[in-house]
Amino acid sequence: MKIGTLHLEKRTHVSWYVQGFSILIALAGAFGVGALLIMTTGASVGEAYAALFKGAFGSRNAFLETLVQSTPLILTGLAMVVAFRARVWNIGAEGQFFAGAMAAAWVSMTLHDDLSGPLLLAAVLVAAMLAGACWAMIAAYCKIRFNANIIIVTVMMNYIILFLLSYLLSNTWREPGSYFMQTARFERITYLPRFFSSRLHLGFFNALIASVLVYVLVWKTSLGYSIRAVGVNPVASQFKGIQIKRTILTVMLISGALAGLAGGGEIAGLQHRLRLDISTGYGYTGIIIALLGRLNPVGVALAAIFFGALVNGSTHMQIFTGVPVALVQSLQGIVLIFLLMSDVLTRYRIRRTPHAD
Amino acid sequence: MTNPNPRDTGRAEQGSALSGAPDTGCEKEVSSILLRVDDLSKRFGAVQANDHVSFEVRKGEIHCLLGENGAGKSTMAECLYGTYQPDGGSIYFKGRQIRLTSPRDAINLGIGMVHQHFVLVPPMNVIENIIIGTQKKGLFLRTEEAEKKIQRLCDEYGIDLDIHAPIKELSVSQQQWTEILKALYVGVDLLILDEPTAVLTPQEIMALFRTVKKMAEQGLSVILITHKFSEVLEVSDRITVLRKGKLIGTVETRSINDRELARMMVGRDVIFRVEKEEVKPGELVLELDGVTLRNSQKMKKLDNIHLQIRRHEILGLAGVGGNGQRSLYNAIIGISPLDEGRILLCEEDLAKKSVADRMMACLAGIPEDRIKQGLLMDFSVKESLLLGRHNRPPFSRFGWLCKKKIREFAERSIANYEIAVQNGDVRTGTLSGGNLQKVILARELAHDPCCVVASQPTRGLDVGAIEYVHRRLLDLRREGAGILLISEDLDELFNLSDRLAVIYKGRIMGVFDVNDVTREKVGLLMAGISE
Amino acid sequence: MLTDLLTLNFLESLLSGMMRISTPLLLAALGELITERGGVLNLGVEGTMLVGAFTGFVVSFYTGNLYVGICAAMVAGGLLSLLMAFMTCTLKLDQIVSGLALNIFGGGLAFYGYRVAFQNVGSKNLPTITTFDQVSIPVLSKIPVIGPVFFDQHLLTYVAILLVPLLAWFLYKTVPGLTLRCIGENPRAVDMRGIGVVRYQYGAVMFGGMMSGLAGAYLTEAAAGLFVPDIAAGRGWIAIAIVIFGGWRPIPILFAALFFGLLDSFQLQVQGIGIRFPYQILLALPYVLTILAIVLRGTRTGEPISLGIPYLREKS
Repeated sequence: MKIGTLHLEKRTHVSWYVQGFSILIALAGAFGVGALLIMTTGASVGEAYAALFKGAFGSRNAFLETLVQSTPLILTGLAMVVAFRARVWNIGAEGQFFAGAMAAAWVSMTLHDDLSGPLLLAAVLVAAMLAGACWAMIAAYCKIRFNANIIIVTVMMNYIILFLLSYLLSNTWREPGSYFMQTARFERITYLPRFFSSRLHLGFFNALIASVLVYVLVWKTSLGYSIRAVGVNPVASQFKGIQIKRTILTVMLISGALAGLAGGGEIAGLQHRLRLDISTGYGYTGIIIALLGRLNPVGVALAAIFFGALVNGSTHMQIFTGVPVALVQSLQGIVLIFLLMSDVLTRYRIRRTPHAD
Repeated sequence: MTNPNPRDTGRAEQGSALSGAPDTGCEKEVSSILLRVDDLSKRFGAVQANDHVSFEVRKGEIHCLLGENGAGKSTMAECLYGTYQPDGGSIYFKGRQIRLTSPRDAINLGIGMVHQHFVLVPPMNVIENIIIGTQKKGLFLRTEEAEKKIQRLCDEYGIDLDIHAPIKELSVSQQQWTEILKALYVGVDLLILDEPTAVLTPQEIMALFRTVKKMAEQGLSVILITHKFSEVLEVSDRITVLRKGKLIGTVETRSINDRELARMMVGRDVIFRVEKEEVKPGELVLELDGVTLRNSQKMKKLDNIHLQIRRHEILGLAGVGGNGQRSLYNAIIGISPLDEGRILLCEEDLAKKSVADRMMACLAGIPEDRIKQGLLMDFSVKESLLLGRHNRPPFSRFGWLCKKKIREFAERSIANYEIAVQNGDVRTGTLSGGNLQKVILARELAHDPCCVVASQPTRGLDVGAIEYVHRRLLDLRREGAGILLISEDLDELFNLSDRLAVIYKGRIMGVFDVNDVTREKVGLLMAGISE
Repeated sequence: MLTDLLTLNFLESLLSGMMRISTPLLLAALGELITERGGVLNLGVEGTMLVGAFTGFVVSFYTGNLYVGICAAMVAGGLLSLLMAFMTCTLKLDQIVSGLALNIFGGGLAFYGYRVAFQNVGSKNLPTITTFDQVSIPVLSKIPVIGPVFFDQHLLTYVAILLVPLLAWFLYKTVPGLTLRCIGENPRAVDMRGIGVVRYQYGAVMFGGMMSGLAGAYLTEAAAGLFVPDIAAGRGWIAIAIVIFGGWRPIPILFAALFFGLLDSFQLQVQGIGIRFPYQILLALPYVLTILAIVLRGTRTGEPISLGIPYLREKS
């Protein structure tokens, strides 16, 4: 690629330093564009960003709330890490999240008399994971059996499950006597324990444990090796005996389970009732988180906390400076695009074209 | 520059001085030099592909660029065609210095190129492929005129081609003629052919050379790029030899022999015939019994194949690419299930065995495309070596990877196979072709296979690496393995094989003892002509 | 008698609805067809549609002129896809990831822009615009049944239908059309003939973006008259599916889009009649159908060979 007298030459190896630098450039660029967006509202950029930061980290409570917001994002981000490492484009985390939430709700509503304590909570979360895995499996089957484009199938499934939820919330699951499409509030025993007298619930620690488990799975096990090999070169993998279809299925099950766990955690740890709007696009944001975190669990956790901070801080920002909360959604997209572009810096270096005599 | 009649350009300008020529570096008769390359250099990252190379091409001359794989011939060609821009040096064409920024410039000047890997559009037909980028005026496609002109060119040069057929239905040699027609259609004064004979039968090679000589007689200059010096001596007027990017020299063909040429090419004496010991073949290792394979359109890719390979034996399989070699490899390895017939490994039917099982059972495969089918370029060498054995002891216990064993295996492989890397943590993508092939050998041969299927194992390798691979194959043969050697290189096949089979359109045309058959006969069988 | 009339009326409403509903799908699908024929897989159609929908709406709202709104929407779509072209054709980034990023970016931008432009709205006083009137073609629109269905539609519907033969002619009968198709199959073949591959790809991607923007504008300026953050509701994805289902050829794409429109229209009509049926099943129908369409078209004949693969001249 040439621009004038400069051209790009492929780097022979990429150091940590360059990778970190590129992420910083991406963030700087993104916040720069964000500043432009803020200016369209007439608010002061400095005040807006300060309010954003204060809302996210300004106090003990604020910080804990940031962690609360990051919890589902860590899990959906991990779900994408597992899938994308195999180059399986599971865009259905949103739907799998809802599947998990619905299963958690069902267990909460029907089994709260039969089970108690940790057993009930375990049942809630396991059901959530199973539901997410099953919802993902439908798309996996379409891909494996019919070679259907998994992106489109998973996106369609995201819409379909919302209609299913809508039906349930209007009929059998509707809170008796309520206008709203929501379930009744669940019994206290179905609640995940909270910590530090804040809203931080067990789900956050589940997410951290999941990070460790995903790391171990992907880099320390044979299955993880297969997943990565299929992502890097499916042809060679097949030539050496790796079953591609089985790998796709396994990856979708794990990915769906993680997204389902995110949904279950939100229900049992935070919302305690099922509604249509329990997700603010966690499934889709998970994609950005995974890419920002360079498909690595540590990076995902950090990126999730960063985005959690944005979401948490934005309400404070709207109250104090009037900048709409919707800025955060734009920022997320902008960060992703800048990150993708700055990725080029890690792959190439800029060189002057030598003049031919 | 649309030149409807390439013949006229050459004849008309031959013998007359060109005007406005700033090319003062030329001492010979200026008028007869069509192309002069002066001190050209090109670097890719750490590799100096061309290092101050100079040579010249006369009008109506067939000039060969000879060098082993990696010598820089293709890079030079791409610099002459405008795909790459040289870092240093200059190019003079028809007496004027030229600077090519893209193939468009080259085409406008009258330079055409037939690439080693064809650049054709499979779903479109021959006419459409030829006219891309040629119609300068008008929005509407005017195919009728083009059709007539192409047909005229075919008749003139004796090219037998259905120009309405889509590319994917043409044979390899017909596709190559399409590539050549692309250049003739726009009219060229200089035609560059990059390794044109790699994929042809001996008869097709002769037909190509006949046509090339005819073009040269009519004034067209041809640069023929190759690593096969036997062909070079047959068809060229002069030869420029490159080695590791540097110019070794330019010689007149009639004043040199193949031994001297090989020494120029490689820098030392090259052993033409490997020392193949006399070994008695042992028991049967691999047997294909009536193997038939169909593709999704129910056409037979393999048709009733019967082959037997014994221990201590190399069975060579000759054939033009695309006649079933890939299907055969895939069938033996286990990727493609058979429609009919059986494959027996050491007397055991492989029907129920997966790819992984077959590897366990002492079968090894060296794939045709080492990068796409064999290696994980973004992984470390250590991890590439692990592929296929990543879920078995000793590298994996209860699903857990044993880092120590993996590292040890990498260290052993690097030492045994002389792989030129510091350690196993280097990224696989940084290795050269020869070293990549060594990684594959290290991985595949680690478990002492009794049967090895090697598909084009020396394609794209330099002479040193080729010798290494040949030595290893002969070692395997001596130690008791049975080897199926699938290759498009007849020299290699005649050198290494004990017996030789020929495949054509999925059928075995014959199996012979290598001493009982001639190249000509093999060539005919490769083209499907049996007596 | 009454039942007969009902049936004829029903048919007319059904088919008329079909035309209206398939218009944005067809516009976006035709745009994506050209993009994919150039070898670029642009998954950002949904986000581009949202940007077009928002831009068309806000410009129409403040200028009072629907046509200006449409032009603005096309420009917005073109600019967004310019970014996509830069990422995929110049920087050679992964096309799938870039397209997904574009969706998220476009959706976020549209949502934010709406919130900024209309700062004090609750769900009670949503800003609206007067939508396009339908355009009746004289004489022809008087034919029973067929008239109102095919000749009394929005301008954009006529545009969409006319684009079909126009694009077919472009792809198969013109020089740039042939070149574009070859780029989608083997860009190197075209590059080695000295034609600027990247230039063509930019053009193809931006055309697709403008069409998606136009499709979005239809949703707000011709159909709904207002904007909500999820007004596209997955139509961008369905458009991509239509391209696959239509085998990357304009006329089958037309029929695929009409088919989707027909089924969605049917669902609306059934709701209107008041059959006792969970309406969610009907709403889900287009999405289920898309999956079925993709599944049935599993053996993707007609897919451009180099689709989704960034073209690098130097293979190293």
